[in-house]
Amino acid sequence: MPAAAHSAPQPFPYLLLPSYWSSRNRARRREPGDLPRALLFGAVALLVAGSIFYGAFWVTLQLADYAELGDYLIRLGLSWLFLTFLSFLAFSSVVTSLSTFFLSDDLRLLLTAPLAARRLFHARFARTVGQASWMVVVFMAPVLAGVGLARCAPLSFYAVAVLTVVPFVIIPVALGSMVTLGLVNVFPARRARDVLMLMGLIFAMSLVMLMRFLQPERLMQVESMPEVTDFFATLQSPITPMLPSFWAGETLFASLQGGSDFLHAATLWTSALVSVIAAAAAFERWHFTGFSKAQEARKVRVRQWRLLDVVIGTLPLRAVRQQLLVKDLKVFLRDVSQWSQLLLLMALVLVYLYNFRVLDLERIPSMSGVLKNLYAFLNLGMAGFVMATVAVRFVFPMVSAEGPAFWIIRSAPISLRDFLWSKFWTGLIPVLLLSECLTIASNELLGVDPFLKRVAAVTIVFMAFALVGLATGLGARYPRFAADNPTQVAGSYGGVAFMILAVMFVIVTIVLVGWPSSVYLFQRFRRTPPSSMQQALMAGSFVAAALISIGTFWFGMRTGIRALEDMDRTPS
Amino acid sequence: MIAVTGLVKQYGTFTAVNGVTLEVKPGQIHGFLGPNGAGKTTTIRMIAGLLKPTAGHIVVNGHDLAVEPEAAKASLGFIPDRPFIYEKLTAGEFLTFHAGLYGIADAGITPRIREMLDLFELGRWRDELVESFSHGMKQRLVMSAAFLHRPRAVLVDEPMVGLDPRGARLIKDVFRRMADQGVAILMSTHTLEVAQEMCDLVSIILKGQIIASGTVADLRQQAGSADDQLTPLFLKLTGGSGLQEIDEII
Repeated sequence: MPAAAHSAPQPFPYLLLPSYWSSRNRARRREPGDLPRALLFGAVALLVAGSIFYGAFWVTLQLADYAELGDYLIRLGLSWLFLTFLSFLAFSSVVTSLSTFFLSDDLRLLLTAPLAARRLFHARFARTVGQASWMVVVFMAPVLAGVGLARCAPLSFYAVAVLTVVPFVIIPVALGSMVTLGLVNVFPARRARDVLMLMGLIFAMSLVMLMRFLQPERLMQVESMPEVTDFFATLQSPITPMLPSFWAGETLFASLQGGSDFLHAATLWTSALVSVIAAAAAFERWHFTGFSKAQEARKVRVRQWRLLDVVIGTLPLRAVRQQLLVKDLKVFLRDVSQWSQLLLLMALVLVYLYNFRVLDLERIPSMSGVLKNLYAFLNLGMAGFVMATVAVRFVFPMVSAEGPAFWIIRSAPISLRDFLWSKFWTGLIPVLLLSECLTIASNELLGVDPFLKRVAAVTIVFMAFALVGLATGLGARYPRFAADNPTQVAGSYGGVAFMILAVMFVIVTIVLVGWPSSVYLFQRFRRTPPSSMQQALMAGSFVAAALISIGTFWFGMRTGIRALEDMDRTPS
Repeated sequence: MIAVTGLVKQYGTFTAVNGVTLEVKPGQIHGFLGPNGAGKTTTIRMIAGLLKPTAGHIVVNGHDLAVEPEAAKASLGFIPDRPFIYEKLTAGEFLTFHAGLYGIADAGITPRIREMLDLFELGRWRDELVESFSHGMKQRLVMSAAFLHRPRAVLVDEPMVGLDPRGARLIKDVFRRMADQGVAILMSTHTLEVAQEMCDLVSIILKGQIIASGTVADLRQQAGSADDQLTPLFLKLTGGSGLQEIDEII
């Protein structure tokens, strides 16, 4: 049998074809829920992009009134914007390149093919640039469009924007990829991924807290205009002019003024070129060693969590449920990508509580009491949305998280009802504790009426049962056993359906609880007891809220149990 | 031809493969046997270019894998134990892409793809997404890809896993025909009947080292056994059947 005649190798974009073909095939074959999901996400994306555009447009327009100071602030603002994106890109590229260069499944296919190392590098690098930077580009486009339109910038500004953003994203991605290359050659890849994941979340957590504790709302006060310049100026440092963010900001600012800044544009492009050449050389030299290491050393020290066995062993649960609980908790605690997200959640909770602490309601003394109670309802609504978000991210994917191992549950002598109930309790306790603490603490900080505190505390219990029940049930009805990670499950058709139902449920509950509470407070303010008709309607409203919660919970769990029992295919 | 000399692979202090030397000549099917964790897959992955050896040399069809990796891989076909295929590509698209990887995606590739799909009984699935395939069908698609570029040497890791009897028969016939046309095949397997039926030579690896090598008759001689079957021989060479202990436990 003659060997096949080999033609000249295809250029590196050929290696990106499977991604393109896959996307095309995915788009051609519609799956149930594609349309509502596309509409929902499309609408949200348009709304966000529109808001960003409008915000950038408005701010730039306002700054036009301040002549030279305005120009200075736009210049600083652009530099600051690029600096923020630069840090995001640097981190994102380190994480992304770990997957694209070392952990991606198709590497096993590509590395056995007769591909030159440099061709493989270019293809994977292009993919890394795309994956690590699309979010930045999508966010930056409406900002730059807003700034450009507000300043009536020439068309060349938009062309320069494209030509600036391209090298601007390439530089941090090339450097980030080289950092990953170094890390993987030192640590086992899977361990490096965990470390990076944790670092990323701590980074995000610190950023959220830092941004909040800087109290940006101070900048909205007219009397603090000098502080605005100080605020931006603190973001400048001697090393800033050495960063691509500065070069990009300067290039764009010059173009915005109708001029050009070839020095900074050339610095950007040459740096991008040099960084790609350096990265290509480094990957050619060390990629295979790193990839080979990534296949090895799966052995990591595992925490046994024996205390968990002991504690759960004392719970008044049947042995089967105890074992399911132990399994779920251990799997969760051993997966860094899972538990580390709790850190981010904690940061958001702290910021949330901090907002209530710094809320200055006493500035309007006559309205203080009314505002406090109004905020209490807003707070209840927010707690509901927080619960829905936590539930869709952590509770909804719990059945799908069984993945291909679900056959173990299906073939074991346990009822699927027991299985789903175990998932429910595992999800309920943390969600209930989180939202109850959040509501009690924030109401305490606000100093709301004791009656409202009690109403809110009880409502949270009902809402937690309903939302966790609904998330557990719909998670079982629309499982995604083949999903790579829980985020993918949360973004599936079932996840979106859950969020829509959950938001509707929260709104209805707030209305049903809010109306009687406000009537009660109003009557007390007027020092007249509510009429018996009002009392009956108030009681009816509270009962209706409770019934809707119970109904939602019951519907969710019943749907889930039935779906599991009727499931005719088990992943294997 | 595949020639491996003094191959070593260490994971930290653990030596998974320890000085493996073997040669698969053109037209030979060489069985690579051993218990779980003996080092079969690690050896095969090193030859395929997926793992970097700690020491030793691998030469494929005259090309040293460390020196000329592209030339070595161009004449090699690899069939892994757990096949990765892009789930959202059709079988036809996957093979077209594969042809491009091996530099043979010219105008004449379409009949070759059809030929391979027909050979592995996947012709009517050409335009179906891989995600809808059963494990056995995916396995056959990977084999179509492995033979698409007419390799002179083929590495196969556990070829029969997930195949139905008809599929298994088909694969055996294809491998035999390929070998008859001069392709060197190194095949790791747990199925001793398959090894006995198909392989011209057999090497047994245990704890990273080849403990026996030759024809089934040679192995019988090495083990000092009169048994015609490979299974008792294999058990004897790799540490006994353990049946007595099982009886005691049960």
